Amino acid sequence: MANDSSERILEVRDLVKHFPLTQGILFKKQIGAIKAVDGVSFDLNRGETLGIVGESGCGKSTLAKVLMALERPTSGSVKINGRDIAKARGGELKRMRRNIQMVMQDPYTSLNPRMTVGDIIGEPYEIHTEVAPKGDRSRRVQELLEVVGLNPDHLNRYPHQFSGGQRQRIGIARGLALQPEIIVCDEPVSALDVSIQAQVINLLERLQNEFNLAYIFIAHDLSVVRHISDRVGVMYLGKFVELGKDTEIYDRPAHPYTQALLSAVPVPDPEGREQRERIILQGDPPSPANPPSGCRFRTRCWKAQEICAQEEPLLQIRPGTGHESACHFAETHDVVHVS
Amino acid sequence: MNKTSTDLSPAEVTPGDEPLLAVDDLHVEFHTRAGTVRAVNGVSYTVGAGETLAVLGESGSGKSVTAQAIMGILDMPPAVIPHGEIRFKGTDLLKLSEEARTQVRGQRIAMIFQDALSALNPVFTVGWQISEMFRVHRGMSKSEAMKKAVELMDRVRIPAAKQRVHDYPHQFSGGMRQRIMIAMSIALDPEVLIADEPTTALDVTVQAQIMELLAELQRESQMGLILITHDLGVVADVADKIAVMYAGRIVENAPVYDIYKTPAHPYTKGLLDSIPRVDLKGQDLYAIKGLPPNLLDLPKGCSFHPRCPYRQDNCESTAPQLYEISGIRGSACHYWREVLDGERQQ
Amino acid sequence: MSNPTPPVGPGLPETQTLVPDTVTEPAKQRAGKQAKAARSASLWTDAWYDLRRRPMFIISMIIILILLIMSFWPSLFTSVDPYNARTCDLSTARQGPSPGHLFGRDNLGCDVYARTIYGARNSIVIGVFTTLITTLVGGLLGIVAGFRSGVVDTVSSRLTEIFFAIPPILGALLIAATFRGRANSIMLVIIALAVLGWPMTFRIMRAAVITAKNQDFVIAARALGAGAGRIMFRHLLPNSLAPVIVVATINLGTFIAAEAALSFLGVGVQSPDISWGLMIADARNRFLEASLPLVFPAVFLSITVLAFIMMGDAVRDALDPKLR
Repeated sequence: MANDSSERILEVRDLVKHFPLTQGILFKKQIGAIKAVDGVSFDLNRGETLGIVGESGCGKSTLAKVLMALERPTSGSVKINGRDIAKARGGELKRMRRNIQMVMQDPYTSLNPRMTVGDIIGEPYEIHTEVAPKGDRSRRVQELLEVVGLNPDHLNRYPHQFSGGQRQRIGIARGLALQPEIIVCDEPVSALDVSIQAQVINLLERLQNEFNLAYIFIAHDLSVVRHISDRVGVMYLGKFVELGKDTEIYDRPAHPYTQALLSAVPVPDPEGREQRERIILQGDPPSPANPPSGCRFRTRCWKAQEICAQEEPLLQIRPGTGHESACHFAETHDVVHVS
Repeated sequence: MNKTSTDLSPAEVTPGDEPLLAVDDLHVEFHTRAGTVRAVNGVSYTVGAGETLAVLGESGSGKSVTAQAIMGILDMPPAVIPHGEIRFKGTDLLKLSEEARTQVRGQRIAMIFQDALSALNPVFTVGWQISEMFRVHRGMSKSEAMKKAVELMDRVRIPAAKQRVHDYPHQFSGGMRQRIMIAMSIALDPEVLIADEPTTALDVTVQAQIMELLAELQRESQMGLILITHDLGVVADVADKIAVMYAGRIVENAPVYDIYKTPAHPYTKGLLDSIPRVDLKGQDLYAIKGLPPNLLDLPKGCSFHPRCPYRQDNCESTAPQLYEISGIRGSACHYWREVLDGERQQ
Repeated sequence: MSNPTPPVGPGLPETQTLVPDTVTEPAKQRAGKQAKAARSASLWTDAWYDLRRRPMFIISMIIILILLIMSFWPSLFTSVDPYNARTCDLSTARQGPSPGHLFGRDNLGCDVYARTIYGARNSIVIGVFTTLITTLVGGLLGIVAGFRSGVVDTVSSRLTEIFFAIPPILGALLIAATFRGRANSIMLVIIALAVLGWPMTFRIMRAAVITAKNQDFVIAARALGAGAGRIMFRHLLPNSLAPVIVVATINLGTFIAAEAALSFLGVGVQSPDISWGLMIADARNRFLEASLPLVFPAVFLSITVLAFIMMGDAVRDALDPKLR
């Protein structure tokens, strides 16, 4: 298939992932479904970072798993350079995996404790033997260690001999080994100490520039997402409620949920804390097994009207706003500057 | 090592009267097979009634161990407290008998934890668990205690408390479970509440709700609140004063407004500088170089010196005391003047 | 720019290594170091290097080696051949130790020492082979069932529950009695014990695999495109092996003891064959009159079991990099 845009490397269309809820032991009967991801579409260009934010249970981690073909979507497509990874099988899927890799959240559980660092970073080459000839592998592994700022001589050490930040670097090196074009980062710094987070973020940015990587950067820390992302998507109950450039989302949020989310972010500056406007959302997000009709956010929204229960607002550019949002009453509103 | 904390003794801040809770030159060590882990090395802080003290630090900084020592819930052994005092209204808790300690723990000083799900017993209803506090400590009857439990759940704003007392912990969301934990901790009207990373496991929108609740409860009952966290954002919103911990010591303490505007310790300054800022998008974040110290083998002299941009020769040999900057501020850095004068963000 | 490295005191584990943020070490310096890192480490080679330095492992291996030599070449240890009926003398039955008969004589006046030495072969063969079979079969099925889940898991799990419902000794008795005479009695004991023993290993392996399966590093391997075989044997197996090794070494002793029980019931090793179990069974009746014919095979049995448990512990620890 020809690429109409040489820049665009990932196209996600109407992606849906439902986990069936079943009853019965022998004869399983489906009694419902957890709608973890429920119609998500977006594009990603070469060298670009798309940040995805949302609360726990909004489906952002499931989205990452579907993008990585670790879960098969219920419907929809994930096209990498025009080929759908969601439909790929066997050898084709394996080949496509070389193009999309991931960095996981927990550096303590994401590395096999019984493998040496050399084996961990070298495993991609053992799986994809065509990428590097056997004699070349240990040199490549050492190069990778150097690229992520670790001592290449530490090849024979085990993960537990490293600190959390160093382990995350090992995980990043493993993700880089196959020279992918896309890296899905699922909360890559949230398990790290504050003083180490900045080191890892800098590393990710440097690697992006060096290898022209595209990132899907999933995180709950809004200020980190803002720092690293070119565009940001806000997820709520399996759907994008707002998608736009970083400045659009952070300075001119149009969806009430985005506004509430941004206003809830604690600002690391006590100056004027008494006067700060803060939208405190009531209650908890509804269950993804039984989302509200119409707009999913209406149960917690202060703008909700009758139409919100009847008609689902689509993700589109709304009058008066310059980017896509899914609210009948979208209206830009500068809540706070997340610094 | 002992003199690190005596410079800024609480007595100088409020002459004559003893603060509600005072930790004085506390040391805690863990004797392990691999060696002695020096988790807390001379920590002093005070909290007054109605005051919020934030203890800020990374994992391994000793912030939680200090709190556990106050509560008396450290496992001893392997933990040992070779030195220090924890005075609650003038009485040294460390000298009390275990029975007297039990009277203080939970009733006068209470604590809430990060992980509310594992802190609640999954096989009992939340009402039963809250009312247990009243039955055990106040000798109330079952129905009386249950009534109090409903009242408490109302007070921490759990909707439909009357029906939900009969629910089990797993039927509540993370934020609601944390509310239940808070309800249990304030059940016996403690004078000091220690909150150990109370919102870390929660989403931002829920975090805001919980912090607001804690602040309200504190205003109502004039508790002393010790908020332990690693999050500079949470602290800025609610704290009156801040103690920054590194490698088992307080490296800086100050009123909240001062510390954000003019940090006086290189570590505090580094933390503040490494927060992503709008005007610096596209540039490298400032990063404190190196790694947190190994508590089994702390660097000589100042524990922060291997990572410090202000390091001079004497930092490697002499551990700085907590220098007094003003009556209410202290910094454990030989070069605090340079840090104070230096620009934020280099 | 040289980054300060904190001094690591002698004897302290190097839990953290300070590595510069960006590597700026001169290339020349590193070239020299690279030679040192030439030996490429892996879990198994590292475990082997580690084992060779563990006294517990060395001692247990020496004991096991002696036992093996004893079972293959018993004549190296005694000049008396207990299979030769002429070496027994009924008139000396239950005699205490005497020169030439260090352990005394048994109910039939046979030399206890020689019988203990010759008994090692059957006991050890039964113990080792039954353990090997149960560990291989149970372990392999356990990995597959735990990894595959679904139908494979359901069927094999229900199957093991059926086996668990059978009282072990009664079951083995049934198998051994049914096929008695159709096969070598020792082989029969091994088969009977293995048939009833594998479900235990299966359950333990399956549980360990299910725990390991949901860990992030397995998901990471899947994301790299690793196949089922690689995930099972590179990732799941090394991380699930520890409890299986422990159970296997304990089972080894249990199997030798079970052989004794079967022999005692008359369906295990048959006279004139010799085994420790049989000796213990025979000596029980007259224990109060002569305890030595029971004590000696029992002590040998204990030492054997202990040696294998010690070896198992050492291997388990060596396979955990954190304990090195």
